[in-house]
Amino acid sequence: MPDRNDRWSDLLRRGLRGDGAAYGAFLGEIAPVIRGIVRARTGGAEDAEDIVQEVLLAVHAKRHTWREDEPVTPWLYAIARYKAADAGRRRGRQGPQVPIHDLAEILPEEAGEATAARDLSVLLDRIDDRSARIVRAMGVEGRSAAEVGAEMNMTDGAVRVAYHRALVRLKDLAEGDAHPHLDKTS
Amino acid sequence: MKTDDLISLLAQDAAPPPAAPVAQQAVLGVAFGFVGALILYLLALGPRADLMIRWQDPVVLAKTLLPLGLFALALVLSLRRVRPGAAMGKAARLVWLVPLMAAALFVWAFVATPPGERLVDFLGHSIPVCLPAINVLSLPILGGLIFALRRGAPVDPQLAGALAGLASAGLATALYSTFCTEDSPLFYATWYSLGIIFTAGLGAWAGGKWLRW
Repeated sequence: MPDRNDRWSDLLRRGLRGDGAAYGAFLGEIAPVIRGIVRARTGGAEDAEDIVQEVLLAVHAKRHTWREDEPVTPWLYAIARYKAADAGRRRGRQGPQVPIHDLAEILPEEAGEATAARDLSVLLDRIDDRSARIVRAMGVEGRSAAEVGAEMNMTDGAVRVAYHRALVRLKDLAEGDAHPHLDKTS
Repeated sequence: MKTDDLISLLAQDAAPPPAAPVAQQAVLGVAFGFVGALILYLLALGPRADLMIRWQDPVVLAKTLLPLGLFALALVLSLRRVRPGAAMGKAARLVWLVPLMAAALFVWAFVATPPGERLVDFLGHSIPVCLPAINVLSLPILGGLIFALRRGAPVDPQLAGALAGLASAGLATALYSTFCTEDSPLFYATWYSLGIIFTAGLGAWAGGKWLRW
């Protein structure tokens, strides 16, 4: 049986030349291995599958950084470790495994808690206008993704993705403010 | 979305978008940055009058060639750093020759200079020009290089940024050395190095900020 590395190199090489079936087979075969790495690195987080998908997206986005004359496994594992660590850091900062959907409910409170002087609207000024508009419409006014999407000429899927991304960024901003504030008062 | 659905979605888009490899873009980024640095150099500094004659002295030539060597090696290393899993290779060991040779030149100059003149040579007369000039000339090169490296995938963005900083500072210092009239290694091995280290630190910061993906 040929070495896994050779097989994956061959599939990816063909994929990079436009063979979608080979590329699909490559991604399908690496997914369980990536899942193993992610589980080991994140201690079996509930959202491990989201991280697996992030790794697959990263592999896809950076597929041009693999050189055909180099072994594919070190390249692949380095990406998986980087993305798993990155996700671990982000989730570590956010507290233990909060599904992103739940952020919607706690976000306004947490933002208020982060510093007394700042409220959600101050944070919203610091992200781009489009994202801020989506957060206001969905998170504050409680409108549906479909409604907001129709208004902004976006699909509901795109609105939901933009909304979740914006919430994560707001959360980071709120926490970024919280720390210097604590340092000053202590 | 299920992972299998994601995979079939991605598989429809197998071939990477046709774009120049990261290395080619990095060379372009450095070239653009260098033009920027050269314009600043010509506007504010310009070559010393006796450059060609002075270059016949290997100790003077070394102050241009050593930073150039640093530039080449650090550029190669930064390009390896943006390919996940790539080995650092020989360049990672060779690059240490640059500080070693700078240190050797410093020691040689210390011994060769009469004790009374050592401090004079060490302090020179242009530290306030030298340090900021090296950093300012590095900036456009660093900008161009970091921009190009964003297409890569550094698994340690700060290290990749620091290497980009070293490369930029190497090229900028080689350029600056053609203006600078301080020819004692007591001066240049010290203050050039300090300027280069500062830019490497700036590169590490920039890498942490702009090379994440």
